[in-house]
Amino acid sequence: MSYVKGLKCRECGRLYPKDPLYVCEYCFGPLEVDYDYEKIRKKLTRDAIESRPTNLWRYRELLPIDSEPTDGLQSGFTPLIRAKNLEKVLKVKELYIKDDSTNHPTLSFKDRVVAVALSKAKEFGFDTVACASTGNLANSVSAQAAIANLKRYIFIPADLELGKVVATLIYNPTLVAVEGNYDQVNRLCSEIATKYKWAFVNINIRPYYAEGSKTYGHEIAEQLGWKVPKHIVVPCASGSLISKIHKGLKEFEKLELIKKVDTKIYAAQAAGCNPIVTAIKEKAEIIKPVKPNTIAKSLAIGNPADGIYAAATVGGSGGWAEDVSDDEIVEAIKLLSSTEGIFTETAGGVTLGVTKKLIEQGKIPRDESIVVCITGNGLKTQEAVYEKIGKPIKIKPNITAFEEHVMK
Amino acid sequence: MAKKMAHLIFPQKLIKKPVIFTMAKKYNVIPNIRRANVTETVGEVTLELSGTKENLEKARKYLERAGVKVEPVVGDIVE
Repeated sequence: MSYVKGLKCRECGRLYPKDPLYVCEYCFGPLEVDYDYEKIRKKLTRDAIESRPTNLWRYRELLPIDSEPTDGLQSGFTPLIRAKNLEKVLKVKELYIKDDSTNHPTLSFKDRVVAVALSKAKEFGFDTVACASTGNLANSVSAQAAIANLKRYIFIPADLELGKVVATLIYNPTLVAVEGNYDQVNRLCSEIATKYKWAFVNINIRPYYAEGSKTYGHEIAEQLGWKVPKHIVVPCASGSLISKIHKGLKEFEKLELIKKVDTKIYAAQAAGCNPIVTAIKEKAEIIKPVKPNTIAKSLAIGNPADGIYAAATVGGSGGWAEDVSDDEIVEAIKLLSSTEGIFTETAGGVTLGVTKKLIEQGKIPRDESIVVCITGNGLKTQEAVYEKIGKPIKIKPNITAFEEHVMK
Repeated sequence: MAKKMAHLIFPQKLIKKPVIFTMAKKYNVIPNIRRANVTETVGEVTLELSGTKENLEKARKYLERAGVKVEPVVGDIVE
C-alpha cells in the first residue's frame, strides 16, 4: 500500500507524479516526496512500530515505496548509547551517541538511504543502479546491489585512496575511475544519468533515496522513549541528512507519536570545507561554493545540493553551526574511542569536535540532553589517524623485557 | 541545439554588470532564467542555456573568466 501522493518542488510547490524525476522542469528546484499524512496517521502508531522488526522499515509508511521493502532488511535501528564517560570529560549532564558506525551491511548511515533507493529502483523496473561517490555511498551501493542481484556502476575520481577502492571493488561492481577532478566526475555523471536508463541513486532517484535518512531521526525519538532531545549535532556534506533528521522528528510530531519538537539542530563541518556553516553564521540566503581541503573526505562537498535547506533547518530550529580543524577532528576521534569504545571515521570526529566547541562556547547548555550523530566507521579512514595514535611497545619474548619496557 | 541547466553565482563586484546579456550576444546562446536571488553581497541565477554544444562550452568558460561561479543545478553529486 502506498502513502505517497507524488513529488513536489521544494521551491515552487509544483506537483509531479511519482516517477524517477529529481528537478522541477519550471524552476529547476529539487523535488521532494509528498505524503498523505492523514492516511498514515490511521495506520502508524507507537504499538505498530514497536511490534515490527528492528530495521529501518519499521517506519515503512513514512518511506516512499509502494510495495513491500526488499532491501536493507538488516539496516538501521543502530544503537543509541548513553555516553557516561564522555559526559564526564565534556562536563555535561545527558549525552547520547547515535551510532551508525555499526550499520549493516557497510558500516555507515548510507546503508539507510541506499536500502530505500534500491527498493524504489526495483519498483520503477530498473535493472542497473549507479552512483558517484568517494566512499561510503560507493560501498553501500556496491554491497546492497550485490545482494539484490542488480547490475552496478560506481563512478569515482581516479586518484581515490586504495582503501576506498578495495572496500567498493570487493562487492564486484563495475568501478569506473574517472581521470579528472571532482567537478569533472560530477559533470560526467549528470550527463550519463540523462543518457542511460539507470537508477542513479544520488541523481534521478535522489528524492526517494534521501528519505531514508529520516529514519535516523525517527530512531532517535523512539529510542529515547518517544521523546526528542534538546540538541542534535549533525555532520553536513550535501546538507541532506540534517534536514531529513529534522523532518523525521517533525513527522512524528505531526502524527502525534511525540510531543512538540523543540530540538535545536546544529550543523558540523570541517574548517577546510564549510560552506553551510559559513552561510549559517553569516545568515546568508545563498551558499557560496568552496574548494574542499580537509581530511574529512566524506564531508568534502564544496557545492552542497541541499545546503540552503540545511541552513534553513538549523536557523528555524534555533540551533547554530561550527567547524573544526583537521587536528581537532583527529583529537575528537581519539576522544570518542578512548571514552566510549567507538572508532568513528573523520566525519564523526567533525561532529564530536564541533559538539565540544559548542559546549565550550556556551551555545549548547551543559544541563540539557544532547545527541551526537556518528555516521561512519573509523576502520575506513585509518590513514587519518595512523601517525597520531602512538606505536605499540615492541619487546623480546621474555618477562625481563616486559618488565623493563612496559612496567618500568 | 543543445540545452544546459546551470546555477550561476555572482560575486558582489559583478552584480551591476550585464554579464548574462554579454555572454548571450557574444556566443549566440539563449538564456532562459527560471529562478534568481540577488542580495547586497551576492547574486544567484538558475537558468537554462540553449545553443550549439560548442557555444555552450565557450559561454561557460566566458562566465568563469568573468568571475562567475558556474555550478550544476543539482549541486555536487560525488558524495
